[in-house]
Amino acid sequence: MIRCKPLLGTYVEISTNDISPQNSESIANYAIDRAFDAIELVQKLMGFHNPDSELSKINQRSHLDILEVHEWTFKVLSAAKEIHTLSAGLFDCGVGAKLVGAGLLPQHEGVSVTQYGGLSDLVLIEPNKVTSHKPIQLDLGGIAKGFAVDKAVEALKVNGIKSGSVNAGGDLRVFGESPKEIQVRSPSHPNTLIPLGSLEEGSIASTGLYYSKSQDDMNTLSYIVNPLNMEHIHFNDSYSVLAPECMYADALTKVFAISQDDSHPCFKHFSAQAIRITA
Amino acid sequence: MNWKPNPLLALAGVALVGAPIYAHAKIFVSAEQAQKLIFPNKQFTKTPLLITEDVQDKMQSASSVSHPFKGDRVWRASDGSYFIVDEVVGKHEMITYAVGISPIGAVQGIEIMEYVESYGYEVADESWRKQFVGKTVEDPIKLKKDIENISGATLSSKHLTDGVKRIMVMYDLTLKSKAK
Repeated sequence: MIRCKPLLGTYVEISTNDISPQNSESIANYAIDRAFDAIELVQKLMGFHNPDSELSKINQRSHLDILEVHEWTFKVLSAAKEIHTLSAGLFDCGVGAKLVGAGLLPQHEGVSVTQYGGLSDLVLIEPNKVTSHKPIQLDLGGIAKGFAVDKAVEALKVNGIKSGSVNAGGDLRVFGESPKEIQVRSPSHPNTLIPLGSLEEGSIASTGLYYSKSQDDMNTLSYIVNPLNMEHIHFNDSYSVLAPECMYADALTKVFAISQDDSHPCFKHFSAQAIRITA
Repeated sequence: MNWKPNPLLALAGVALVGAPIYAHAKIFVSAEQAQKLIFPNKQFTKTPLLITEDVQDKMQSASSVSHPFKGDRVWRASDGSYFIVDEVVGKHEMITYAVGISPIGAVQGIEIMEYVESYGYEVADESWRKQFVGKTVEDPIKLKKDIENISGATLSSKHLTDGVKRIMVMYDLTLKSKAK
């Protein structure tokens, strides 16, 4: 069974390998529905575009109050802070304000601060409470999609699916005893695919600018911002990271693209593999 | 995690050559399956619609989807639920999708039925597109076998959002009054 829905601003594909022939379709459909529900919940909690999401509340009020958040939001923020620390600031979801300024993210009403803090200003209080030292404009776009994929896989497993895969616009996780051939797009020729080998029980995410750099608009600003100097980064290569969990694969592509270092200590720490495809 | 890398990856400095995709098609579910997924226990009857030019114009200006909507893929249930199949055509892709609308006129669910991706002029070419129309269940073998598991394509679902928008405009103008 393979199904697809528009979620997280992209197309999310969920595929399950056949189980027992009896009722297999209804079991698969039920499990896939629960997996889509999980992704929808991540979108509802952590979407930057949605002014009512928990993330938007954090962006509006965390410097004024201690906010109680959903455990999933807390988990993503904890992982984001962990990667932020281990990458010495290369990974930072605090670049939201910069992306708003460049017109890549929407400006919400009532947000008019000019000096924002970053992830290091965010304080996490167990269990599931957050506050911050400074006003922040977090954008979880670089990590929440991978997390959503992990949650979808979890929902599939809980509902009896032994093997399959979830692909949210290139953030991909395969699970169960069934290895899959994976490919990445060539950064110079997006219409060609480069085979990376076969993957079992693992995830891959990639970052490239091939889709944000259209030919009729070469001046488009990149959506990758270096948090250390707040400059938009332009690059031609594509950066993929394989990791056991998709959330880490997703987040570590930013560390890779910014550091340009395929043996950055972060990768070893998270049992990840970095692959650069040169243009 | 168990990754068996493509052996060519180990050769530093060698430019990897990929296989070109000219048309990459994926079939997810048929119209019948999509109907059951969105409305598990409802019976639908096909109720083709004649869409006037005026309604087409309004749908277009509300959604920026320019190719005309085909009114022959509309189904209705006795409680006033509607099930509609449509497609959107982007620069590089064509997506056939189903929208379920509840009796009160809210989107009940969206299911993508088919996805065709291409990089040439082909998608914009009407005759090229026509070869895929209506072939979701009947003739899947004619479509190129799926290429699964591509990392790195962050295709935006904006076109689909526009498509759903035009369906809702159409519903508002023509079906809403018939729903009850």
